[in-house]
Amino acid sequence: MLQTGNYSLVLSLQFLLLSYDLFVNSFSELLRMAPVIQLVLFIIQDIAILFNIIIIFLMFFNTFVFQAGLVNLLFHKFKGTIVLTAIYFALSISLHVWVMNLRWKNSNSFVWTDGLQTLFVFQRLAAVLYCYFYKRTAVRLGDPRFYQDSLWLRKEFMQVRR
Amino acid sequence: MRLRLRARPTGRPGRGAQRLGPGGCWATVDSMGKKQMLSRLALGGFRRWISEWVKRHICGTFEFGNDIPLSRPKKKKLKGKNTLASPSEDLAEPAVDRPSEGSEPLTEELKEAPVQRRQKKKRPSLELETSFTQKKTSSSSILRNENGIDGGPTEEAVVLKPRRKKKKTQPTELQYANELGVEDEDILTDEQGSPEQQSVFTAPTGVSQPVGKVFVEKNRRFQATDRAELIKTTENIDVSVDIKPFWTTRDVALSVHRAFRMIGLFSHGFLAGCAVWNIVVIYVLAGDQLSNLSNLLQQYKTLAYPFQCLLYLLLALSTVSAFDRIDFAKTSVAIRNFFALDPTALASFLYFTALTLSLSQQMTSDRIHLYTPSSVNGSLWAEGIEQQILQPWIVVNLVVALLVGLSWLFLSYRPGMDLSEELMFSSDVEEYPDNDKGVKVSA
Repeated sequence: MLQTGNYSLVLSLQFLLLSYDLFVNSFSELLRMAPVIQLVLFIIQDIAILFNIIIIFLMFFNTFVFQAGLVNLLFHKFKGTIVLTAIYFALSISLHVWVMNLRWKNSNSFVWTDGLQTLFVFQRLAAVLYCYFYKRTAVRLGDPRFYQDSLWLRKEFMQVRR
Repeated sequence: MRLRLRARPTGRPGRGAQRLGPGGCWATVDSMGKKQMLSRLALGGFRRWISEWVKRHICGTFEFGNDIPLSRPKKKKLKGKNTLASPSEDLAEPAVDRPSEGSEPLTEELKEAPVQRRQKKKRPSLELETSFTQKKTSSSSILRNENGIDGGPTEEAVVLKPRRKKKKTQPTELQYANELGVEDEDILTDEQGSPEQQSVFTAPTGVSQPVGKVFVEKNRRFQATDRAELIKTTENIDVSVDIKPFWTTRDVALSVHRAFRMIGLFSHGFLAGCAVWNIVVIYVLAGDQLSNLSNLLQQYKTLAYPFQCLLYLLLALSTVSAFDRIDFAKTSVAIRNFFALDPTALASFLYFTALTLSLSQQMTSDRIHLYTPSSVNGSLWAEGIEQQILQPWIVVNLVVALLVGLSWLFLSYRPGMDLSEELMFSSDVEEYPDNDKGVKVSA
């Protein structure tokens, strides 16, 4: 059974990483006095996303549903989060690489092209959706039903099998 | 650790001492006993004397009355030993064993006990035990003389009381609350026992009264503590223990969800205000019919990018909050609500549109941020291009402000609505009884 203290700690860590992600997405364009600053911010942001993925998977592994072998049920329930997080991670890394590549020589230059703008819009939209889905999943995993056997679980299992 | 009240837990009584009760306490034989013996010899004859002698020497028990069967004191004696060995059995002991007329003076004596213990702390333990027993014995004989009754059961009480207290000193404080209270069955209002026990020579059990003090061992010493205070403190501990389990992970999740909803509610209003302020500033700086665009660029270039960043932050928060309210992850519900023109569903759609529009202007915002007059070498702003770039940007900003303002109005229409909470958390309540059943079965 998941302990309240542990869950609170994990949840606060997840929210901290999400807040950092939102902060960098919002203000990284302003913090470009030197290219290194942006580089460090981007690297930490990508690591934060990776950490969040690891944490959410560890939370999955900790559930009774997973330990009972019903991995399929868990992935079925949270596939939106898993897929979106993967997409966002890929979009973030590609945008960061592209932006840093263009701004490495002169961080204060106008580097925008239509392609970069498009990628930027998609990455930022994915960030909002990722934030929503990730937050929802983290909060939902606090439900005690995921950590014990119940009729609900059996019912869900039957639904997935159909 | 333990308060020992028995000088000789095993073995036969020493010279000049007779066993009085089952508690294992000893008293000196006084002259009264001898007189009684002689008179009985005269009255009852030799045979009776033999049986008395057998009782006394074989069973090691002295009783003033002949009516009491031989086996009873022996049984009591064993019981006394057992209770010392395993104090947990004490609780099951009947209340008859606790007479109370003698309990008050004995309590006083017990109060003295720690003092005495303190004084003789450095003495060997055996000596301490012996002295304590002697003191007790003498006090019991005093009692007997005062009341004119047999001290047997009273002695029993002396032994039993400290045993109870000894239990209370155990570290498991949770047992306190149940034990400390005075149970009704512990108090004897009338004499109890079988007719066999109520013989002429048996000690009458008096009216018992609860003792106000409890002796708790602290730092290897027994200290008198008020029973009421101890009960109060243990009850407090119980309360704090009871509260904790109610704060489950589900409650944590729910509180976090509600906290984020509050942040979202704040960001909705702040965003609407910011967007309206922004568009007002742009139109004021641009002048009538956008005639003074160079002035707008010069004045607004420091503000453009920070505002764009702030707009993204607030829009992201508001969109996530609005999605939370319609439970966007359950697409079917969200789409149904949208087609039903549910204000919250409309608001979240408007927020997402505003976000996309705002993001699409990132390039223009950066261009405004890097504005230099066209005369300057390497300027991004060629002559005559200002109107062409700025007009769509202003229009998009206007639309964003309108969308954001409308969304805020829609959300304000039903600020308490939160489908996520209803679907994610409230639905659980229906299934919880099943859940509990499952837990009980497994337990």
